[in-house]
Amino acid sequence: MSHTPFIIGAYSIGAIVLLWCAFAPLLRKKSITRDIRRLVQVEERSRDTNT
Amino acid sequence: MTPTRKRRLIAVLLILAGVGVASTIAFYSLQENLLYFQSPSELAQQPIPPGRQFRLGGLVKPGSVERQGQSLTTHFVVTDGPEEVTVEYVGTLPDLFREGQGVIARGALDDSGRFAATEVLAKHDENYMPPEVADALEESGHLMTEGKGGG
Amino acid sequence: MNVETAKTNKPRKNAFVMFIHKMGSPPWFYNFTGKFIPWFWAIFIVLTVWGLYLGLVKAPADYLQGESFRILYIHVPAAWMSLLIYISMAIMAFIALVWRIRIVEILAMTSAPIGAAFTIVTLAAGSLWGRPTWGTYWVWDARLTSELVLLFIYLGIIGLYNAIDEPRKAARAACLLALVGAVNLPIIHYSVKWWNTLHQGSSISLMGGSSIDTSMLWPLLIMAVATKFYYGANLLTRARVKLLEQDIRKAWVREVLKEKNG
Repeated sequence: MSHTPFIIGAYSIGAIVLLWCAFAPLLRKKSITRDIRRLVQVEERSRDTNT
Repeated sequence: MTPTRKRRLIAVLLILAGVGVASTIAFYSLQENLLYFQSPSELAQQPIPPGRQFRLGGLVKPGSVERQGQSLTTHFVVTDGPEEVTVEYVGTLPDLFREGQGVIARGALDDSGRFAATEVLAKHDENYMPPEVADALEESGHLMTEGKGGG
Repeated sequence: MNVETAKTNKPRKNAFVMFIHKMGSPPWFYNFTGKFIPWFWAIFIVLTVWGLYLGLVKAPADYLQGESFRILYIHVPAAWMSLLIYISMAIMAFIALVWRIRIVEILAMTSAPIGAAFTIVTLAAGSLWGRPTWGTYWVWDARLTSELVLLFIYLGIIGLYNAIDEPRKAARAACLLALVGAVNLPIIHYSVKWWNTLHQGSSISLMGGSSIDTSMLWPLLIMAVATKFYYGANLLTRARVKLLEQDIRKAWVREVLKEKNG
């Protein structure tokens, strides 16, 4: 039995899981930054209408 | 430390102690079921009736492996030193199956006291070394595994 | 920073206590840790490339297992991390429960997904190693089963933390679960000694000698150090994002983001 597919399989699963685990928080940060920006815009608009 | 913190600390420690005691009890009661396999010596002390499924683990006795002609039937002896059991297996053996190496067989004893295996897994040890080192060790008689090549 | 201590007439705090207090302030934590993350990633990448080169190219094949033993260089470091992250998470959970420091709560909670990822890698790589060596992908022996239980505990902590809406309450409940789940750690570690298992014993021991050849040991140690930096970088990244998320309406978050956008 050739061992190569098992080695490649093990390392690719490792790479996929660890890369995903590393990039997930960055995607989350992007969406949070977008939310904050929207929040700031809404606040500014309401301040403008109030004054 | 403030009184609230002390109270929290005590509460957390009490919970941990409770969990610790509970898991220790569970651990001792489950101990027997957690044995993945029986060694030939354990089998000799507490015999298992023929026909009941269990796992047998030990080393393949060097020189005991017999393959029967063209068929996939193999006979070998599993030993742990003081005791040994003869195993009969029909099927392909794992790559790492070799004489002197660890093996775990699932099956049941037949009436003649022979173990009829339905599955054989190779168990390897925690030693890792390049082939040259293994050869050198074997020459000087330090390496216990006697099977070489094969598989 | 000394103004406050002078005003309240408390004895002067030592540098370590000062550091702890500073780390407890979200903007300070956010900016301070932000400087380290790129370095941690860089060290992780350099060490991983080096370790994998030594392990996959330079190291000789094993006398018995042949090439398949190379899976060791991902399986073993991942398995160590799955336990180490749990230990670190449990210690932080304990501190969080008694002292209620929000940053520590966040650090404990953001450790869980990283630990779960390493546990998944451990199980998957181990399974792919088991097929060519043992002859099976999976057995229910004590070592494999307890490592699977570890994954479920990690998932339980993540699930509980996300199930409760109020973040601090959620953290407290999940921290308690993390502490209780720590009973599994000695079981995983000693399973190969306490019971007959298909899984072999430990090759590396801190006290005694290691039963692994030096040429095969070095890449393993390098990978073990590399994964620590991965944890460090990933944990700090996650903790910073969590802080932003929880403090979304606070002024410091706006300032931090404004600075960044110039």
